[in-house]
Amino acid sequence: MQQRETLWEAYLRRGLSRRSFLKGCFALTAMMGLSLDKFNDVVEAASGRPLPVVIWIHGHECTGCDESFIRSASPLASDLVLNEIALEYDHLLSAACGEPFEAHLDQTIQNYYGNYILAVEGAVATKMNGAYCMSGGHTFTSLLQKAAAGAAAIIAYGSCSSYGGIQAANPNPTGSAGIEMFVGGKPVIKVPGCPPIPEVMTGVVMHVALFGNLPDLDSDGRPKQFFGNRIHDTCYRRPFFDAGLFAETFDDAGAKAGWCLYKLGCRGPETYSSCGNLRWYQGMSYPIQSGAPCIGCANAHFWDEEPFTDRLPKYGKIGDADKIGIGLGVMATAGVAAHAVASVIQRNSRDKVAEENRHDED
Amino acid sequence: MKEVKRKEFYLFSPFLRIFHWIMVTMILILFATGILIAKPLQVMTPEPFLTITSMDLVRDIHFVAAFILCASLILRVYGFAINRGDRLFPRFWEGHFYSETVDVALHYMLLKKEHASYLRNPMARASYAMLYVLLAIEIFTGFAMYFMNKPNGTGAALFGWVNTILGSEMMTHLVHHYVAWFIILFAIGHLYMVVRAEFMEGESEVSSMFSGSKILAHNPKDANEVD
Repeated sequence: MQQRETLWEAYLRRGLSRRSFLKGCFALTAMMGLSLDKFNDVVEAASGRPLPVVIWIHGHECTGCDESFIRSASPLASDLVLNEIALEYDHLLSAACGEPFEAHLDQTIQNYYGNYILAVEGAVATKMNGAYCMSGGHTFTSLLQKAAAGAAAIIAYGSCSSYGGIQAANPNPTGSAGIEMFVGGKPVIKVPGCPPIPEVMTGVVMHVALFGNLPDLDSDGRPKQFFGNRIHDTCYRRPFFDAGLFAETFDDAGAKAGWCLYKLGCRGPETYSSCGNLRWYQGMSYPIQSGAPCIGCANAHFWDEEPFTDRLPKYGKIGDADKIGIGLGVMATAGVAAHAVASVIQRNSRDKVAEENRHDED
Repeated sequence: MKEVKRKEFYLFSPFLRIFHWIMVTMILILFATGILIAKPLQVMTPEPFLTITSMDLVRDIHFVAAFILCASLILRVYGFAINRGDRLFPRFWEGHFYSETVDVALHYMLLKKEHASYLRNPMARASYAMLYVLLAIEIFTGFAMYFMNKPNGTGAALFGWVNTILGSEMMTHLVHHYVAWFIILFAIGHLYMVVRAEFMEGESEVSSMFSGSKILAHNPKDANEVD
């Protein structure tokens, strides 16, 4: 196993100063969502720990997460891939292909067994013994199991590898599932989102690369620093929600004025992601800012939670739960009224019989 | 004028009665504000700053009412502990529960002319047990949503698992909303049945929830249970 250099050594090799190294560490600290008192730890790790090897595999998915990843601005995805981690294998970003490329994967797994980071995009197709998703002549399931066996840490990028993804939507013909059950019980860092925010993707892999341990995870396995708040609680449109100012349709005055999209089915109140504070593409915007209600793409099962543009699902021609509830309420009221009338008739006949019996006794 | 001999059966402690009326008030408030939260009112004012449809206020009322309802459950538990008449859980484990329920149900379906008199009708008791199940679902789903604004807090640790079990937090919202409607349907049936029992069967079902006692001319079948 060849000696890998640290981030500090990489800076030295490129002729950069100590000052720019510290600046870089400072930026890293902020980017990983850590508080500034962790700055010393970051410097220590960056100058002491060799940068890790990353194997990045793709399963049942659209590669949209990679599209997001390469748009990361701080750090630049190119910087991360070329200088800060050693990305040895990636279906999408590698120039090599064919048998030498697959042989390189086996070699990398062998050389760095137990030391590399495994990043997984895409779900596992469980039906037909995994034949719905093949990679290099093998099922993705077997590739995942092979790569997971020697991984120091596993990162699940995107809602597919976290929860199954859009292809897991009812009726789920390929049996798509998240990778958690197929990695031999190793802890998985879930970075859900369809796709996740680029800076979140780079932030998580940098955290694992620098410190060699998992970031603080919530009960679902998501890093707390990026998935610790609802979008609703960090949304800049929240004051409109509190004041009761809502866009009713996509083209009314409220939508134009930038009011809350809650009544248009915004899933901000149910979705945990950094969209509200990090935003997308160098903080340019995020769906709600551009006037589109959040669809909760970082949630498990979001693909089955129609309609995306309303709070309550509708059931055929009857309508939503409130309409059904009012209907059942009216029916119940009519039912008890009818029952009351029938009960009075029944009691009168009962009393009549009782009275007749009494007369007979007299 | 006729003279009727009546007996008084003390049944419901003040704690149960106070709890009952707090619950009635809070359920009405919670339902009304809950509907407003799911479907906020339209802004009808010419200028946004004149808005009177404050979501913040509606939600605060909803939360305060929910906390009052939960806190008042302590009255129910205390009444349960000190007074036999408050112990309304249906006796599933006793055989006569089933025959009595069938008897009552046949009468309510108008297939029988009458049913034996009970201080606490087995079918009603079963429906109250069901109401407590519905309330528990509302409490658990409600707190699961409420406390998740701070996912690392104690409240989230206590109730966050509800979201996991239901699959996603959106599902928690839907379950909370749907079960609220079932509680209202229960209330319609409950209101009718107690009024019917009071005015048609001479069971002082309504008045006992104010006075605590049932003053009856006849002798109920389960009179020995509260002695």
